[in-house]
Amino acid sequence: MRSSLYTLLFSLLAAVASAQYPAAQIPAALKVRANAVVRDMETTVDMRAPNDVGVRIKTAITILNKNGREHARLVLMYNKNSSIKYVRGQVINEWGAVKGKFSLSDFSDESAVDGGTLFSDDRLKHYLPDEHLYPYTVVYEYEKRYKQNLVLPEWQPIPGFDISVEKSQYVFISQPEDKLRIKTSNFTGKPFEEKTEKQHKITWTAENLPAVRQEVYGPDTETFLPAVRIAVEKFYYHGFRGEYRDWTELGRWTYENFLKGKRQLSPYTAAAVADMVRDLPDDKAKAKRLYQYLQQKVRYISVQIGVGGLQPMSAQEVDQLSYGDCKALVNYMQSLLDAAGIESYYCVVNAGNYKQSMMADFADMRQGNHIILCLPLKGDTTWLECTNQKLPFGFLGDFTDDRTVLACTPEGGKLLRTPKLRPEDNIQLRTAFFEVAANGTLTGTVETRFGGSQYDAHQYISNKQAGEQLEALKEIYDVDNIIVSDIKYLNEEKPVPSFIESFNCRLPSYATGSTNRTYLVLNAFNRSGQIPELRTRTMPVYLNRGYTDIDSIVYTMPTDLRLETKPEDVRIDNQFGTYELKVTQSGNRLLYRRKLVIKEGTFAPAAYEEFSKFRMRVHELDQHRAVFMKGTR
Amino acid sequence: MRKLLLSLFLGLGTFVSKAQDFEFGRMEAVDAEFDIRKFDPLANAAVLNEFGLSRIDLDDAKGQTMLLFSYHARIKILNQEGFSNGDISIPLYKSSSYDNNEEISEIVAATFNAEDRVWVRTPLDPKKIYYEDVNRSYKLVKFSMPNLKPGSVIEYSYKIKSPRLFNFRTWQFQSEIPKRTSTYIARIPAIYNYNVALRGPYKLSKQDAALDRECLRINGVAIDCSKITYRMDSIPAFRSEEFMTAASNFMSAIYFELSDQQTLQGAKINYTKSWKDVDYELKTDKNIGTQMKRADVFKDVVAPLLKDISDPLAKAKVIYAYIKKNIKWNNYRGISSDAGVKKAFETHSGNVADINYALISALTAAGLEAEAVMLSTRANGAINKLFPVISDFDYVVARLNIGDKSYLLDATDPLLPFGLLPLRCINDQGRVISLKKASEWIDLKATQREATRYVLNGEINEKGKLVGTMNIYTNGYAALDRRKQINSYNSPDEYVEKYDEKMPKTKILKYAFSNLDTVDMALSEIYQIEMDMYDGTDHNQLYFNPFLVDRIQKNPFNLSERNYPVDLGAQRDVRIVANIRFPDKYAVVDKPADLSIGLPDKGGRFLTQTTFENSVLTFSQMLTLDKSIYTPNEYLSLKEFYSRIIQLQKTDIVLKKTL
Repeated sequence: MRSSLYTLLFSLLAAVASAQYPAAQIPAALKVRANAVVRDMETTVDMRAPNDVGVRIKTAITILNKNGREHARLVLMYNKNSSIKYVRGQVINEWGAVKGKFSLSDFSDESAVDGGTLFSDDRLKHYLPDEHLYPYTVVYEYEKRYKQNLVLPEWQPIPGFDISVEKSQYVFISQPEDKLRIKTSNFTGKPFEEKTEKQHKITWTAENLPAVRQEVYGPDTETFLPAVRIAVEKFYYHGFRGEYRDWTELGRWTYENFLKGKRQLSPYTAAAVADMVRDLPDDKAKAKRLYQYLQQKVRYISVQIGVGGLQPMSAQEVDQLSYGDCKALVNYMQSLLDAAGIESYYCVVNAGNYKQSMMADFADMRQGNHIILCLPLKGDTTWLECTNQKLPFGFLGDFTDDRTVLACTPEGGKLLRTPKLRPEDNIQLRTAFFEVAANGTLTGTVETRFGGSQYDAHQYISNKQAGEQLEALKEIYDVDNIIVSDIKYLNEEKPVPSFIESFNCRLPSYATGSTNRTYLVLNAFNRSGQIPELRTRTMPVYLNRGYTDIDSIVYTMPTDLRLETKPEDVRIDNQFGTYELKVTQSGNRLLYRRKLVIKEGTFAPAAYEEFSKFRMRVHELDQHRAVFMKGTR
Repeated sequence: MRKLLLSLFLGLGTFVSKAQDFEFGRMEAVDAEFDIRKFDPLANAAVLNEFGLSRIDLDDAKGQTMLLFSYHARIKILNQEGFSNGDISIPLYKSSSYDNNEEISEIVAATFNAEDRVWVRTPLDPKKIYYEDVNRSYKLVKFSMPNLKPGSVIEYSYKIKSPRLFNFRTWQFQSEIPKRTSTYIARIPAIYNYNVALRGPYKLSKQDAALDRECLRINGVAIDCSKITYRMDSIPAFRSEEFMTAASNFMSAIYFELSDQQTLQGAKINYTKSWKDVDYELKTDKNIGTQMKRADVFKDVVAPLLKDISDPLAKAKVIYAYIKKNIKWNNYRGISSDAGVKKAFETHSGNVADINYALISALTAAGLEAEAVMLSTRANGAINKLFPVISDFDYVVARLNIGDKSYLLDATDPLLPFGLLPLRCINDQGRVISLKKASEWIDLKATQREATRYVLNGEINEKGKLVGTMNIYTNGYAALDRRKQINSYNSPDEYVEKYDEKMPKTKILKYAFSNLDTVDMALSEIYQIEMDMYDGTDHNQLYFNPFLVDRIQKNPFNLSERNYPVDLGAQRDVRIVANIRFPDKYAVVDKPADLSIGLPDKGGRFLTQTTFENSVLTFSQMLTLDKSIYTPNEYLSLKEFYSRIIQLQKTDIVLKKTL
């Protein structure tokens, strides 16, 4: 009986909906540069109790063309802590007639374990309507239930690029006694609040938001997409209860519940640590020795089960397994440092090449995706990345540089900032000497110092086997038929780590030409690419990280070649950086020098034109050649 | 690639082979003496010893014969880069019926580290074995070896019980890391007969067959088994290369397929049959043959479309276009119709088989003769042609016969012209399945070249800009690619805008496309362009590089050596003609030498010619690759061929002011 009642309800629902969402009703402004339009979306979060949060999504999305097709895909994550109660939906054609329906049984069920993870209990169900006549509309409704309220869904009315929004609503229902903290970003609309004895309901509504286009060198989406985030003071999570108002309290709670007592080592390992550091002069030297030990001993493997998503595996377990995820490895490193009497902080960070800080004014558990380690060392603050077996001591690289992180300490959470890699730290300094033969073949040596973030980008090659190094260098030193030999890598101990790569090489027939002339492209290895010239630029220009490249190449030419033309010297200086090109002739030698400095920063959208012109000019200058006449006169 | 058929002679040997699994955890001198780095300088890890045994046995509880597979491997980890070989992942196939799932048992694993000349053993904690239910077709059993160090030896073994007897159990001799030795024993009861094929370039070091008397007892009847041992020693690592078809075509492995089975009552069930039997089965299969016969579904829709057309080829083109437009591919492959032709047509969506059987049915409804061609896509690998292996096929297309001509048609991609198969289908041979005749093999070759022609007409104006028109004509796969690119944008305008943005020195002032939707014709793109060349024209000397378009920036063949064939799929053809008028005051003083080079064995040509007459520079270039597959021996000449082109393209034409 019940199922037939559902069927009846469902067909009623379908009948009502069938007259809705004809594509013709979409306002023209919302179709500009849009592949899909959110017609009407309502996200309702009903926090009935800390361990019982219902989330209901009702939405209608019109897919305008094939590039918007992915917006029709419904992906529902679930695990032991959250379940999908129901899904129902239908596909509606351009004119508003129902073409088909779907329910949970149409969904594929898969584990949500990604490539780098050994195990996680996250699973997902997904469904993409098999519809190819555009435009069409997908209408669906589903409800999920969470058994925790520490991590609550955030509201982002614009779900991505090239999709506009006709209407989107966020309804947050809590108990009158619940204390909420709310963070609104890039959104000016005022919420509507209703408070009764039974519940507290807040509603945000966004309407007529045009599609946003993705642009190169654009800023982080956090800085311009509207969002509402909510955190609740008293929470429940996997059997844990707690409360927090700010980072201090959240950091303390994390320490007390997830970290404390996880750092005991076996007496055997503790003794081994004592042995290792006994004769070392100071804490820094000791920490360095232990970091090297860690890098040799453990490898990164991610295992996320239940509360394990937030809580590290114990130090003893890592000691036995010699592997762990970022939490486990940081915690293990802390235990080694403890044994040597060195203080350290477990730090939560938003890792990624894009720099993203913890929000100073809003603490919640959603932020952060990685753990690193901070050693105060009496003012000589040192940072460690514990999941990498090759990084030098005290170097974070561009994965976690220059951003605020949450240190979870017994005294509470603290926001700390990781060191910044400045343009003058991120260096690539190259010196090369080439002998040019009469047939155009170049033979010589190349030596390059990589530092800072450029160290990061090249470090992996030095770890490869010799044969693989050859292939990798061929890709980087992209000259046809290049033959590389005698590859050497030398690490340099410096405050900002760097290493020197050197090799001998031959570039067969590099300087070729016609019967009378020989052409020599002076910038052999470091030609910079093109960037698009945009007719309209709406986003600010964001340069994430600066760097400095200097290339000096000396070409010794055959004596029967006479220089006909060489590029003129150039110096460009602007707000984005500098470029210098200088070619000097001295006897039969030609010295080519190129310097490119790119600064980091955010610039007004209008600056894009100048920026793209600058990069294009650099691209062009990098192709410049010296032309030689054959036969001495 | 060579394939070797190994026949199973039952009862050939009378002795019982003693070949057995090696002892777990007992390091042997041969393992220690194997110099991995000498064998393979690139290796980060190597298999020292690997043993597998598959046998068919009776599962008493289920009363059903099962395949019991045991596996044991010992792997040396040389350095940290080799640690990923300590992350083990074993797939287990699932089926919709619970009883038919594969089961794993007896997982034993340990890491051995040499400490003070003693091998210290760290066993895997069974609690650290994870079972990941990936999707409805398989599970993964995963574990990471504990306490790994450079120099560790890891060892693990497990058993799998599988109801899947049909393909027995494939044994991969070759993997991404080198192996010292790998042994596989197949123990097969005499009532089962398998076809066995060894793929890949390497020879077995040992193969012997022995009789294992009364190895199996079913309902009181004792059955003899043959026990065949395959061993391969010193197996190089497999490293894939670009422009290669499926890796499984090249990797050394041994494959099985059940040919027939004797029941205890003495009846014989044929599985792998003659093509004659297979033909019959396919024709009567409700998801295959039956779907080819659904002319009834299309009778009424086809008639009005064809009412004024009498030419059979013209009719076929109309129907091909109609099916392409009306049924969209859901990206599933297969030779078996999923939804059925009727439903696919109604819902406008289906898998490859739905669509192409619909095409066959619709062509039949129009009174044309159409057949199915089953094939294996390039990603799926090669097909066994020694005997029918239906599971090798993953795709089906239509063959239309008009008079003595035939056309291969695939309606899954609306951008495909009539008679051109997508590149994924160009893989060796396919089997024609006709409702009327016996099946036969046919070659699957690209019927059109990947052809592009650029024509640039323009002049250098007084501001030093090159203004003119550029025409791009494309055919075959080149047209397909460009149409796909253009269609990936929401409009041609948007495509041109992006195209323009990518060429900052060039402005597209106007454009016109013809035949964008008429896919049977060459695609023509005409662009009116303006390129920044010089700052004015008051220069004593101008350098002009005639290779303005489609310049080869990078040698696609840059390996020092090549092990596998370069498979381009289709022949290539790129021609460029440019006519550029310069201001009258300039004369050419130097230009690249006209070039004419070829690949050996008529493999391809590259020609260029430059002339300057009456202030007009005429430049032409032709590049052809006349084979679709080049052998590893031809690789170095391909590489050199491209090097010569790249060198030439660096050379300018030099013009001097004469007035």
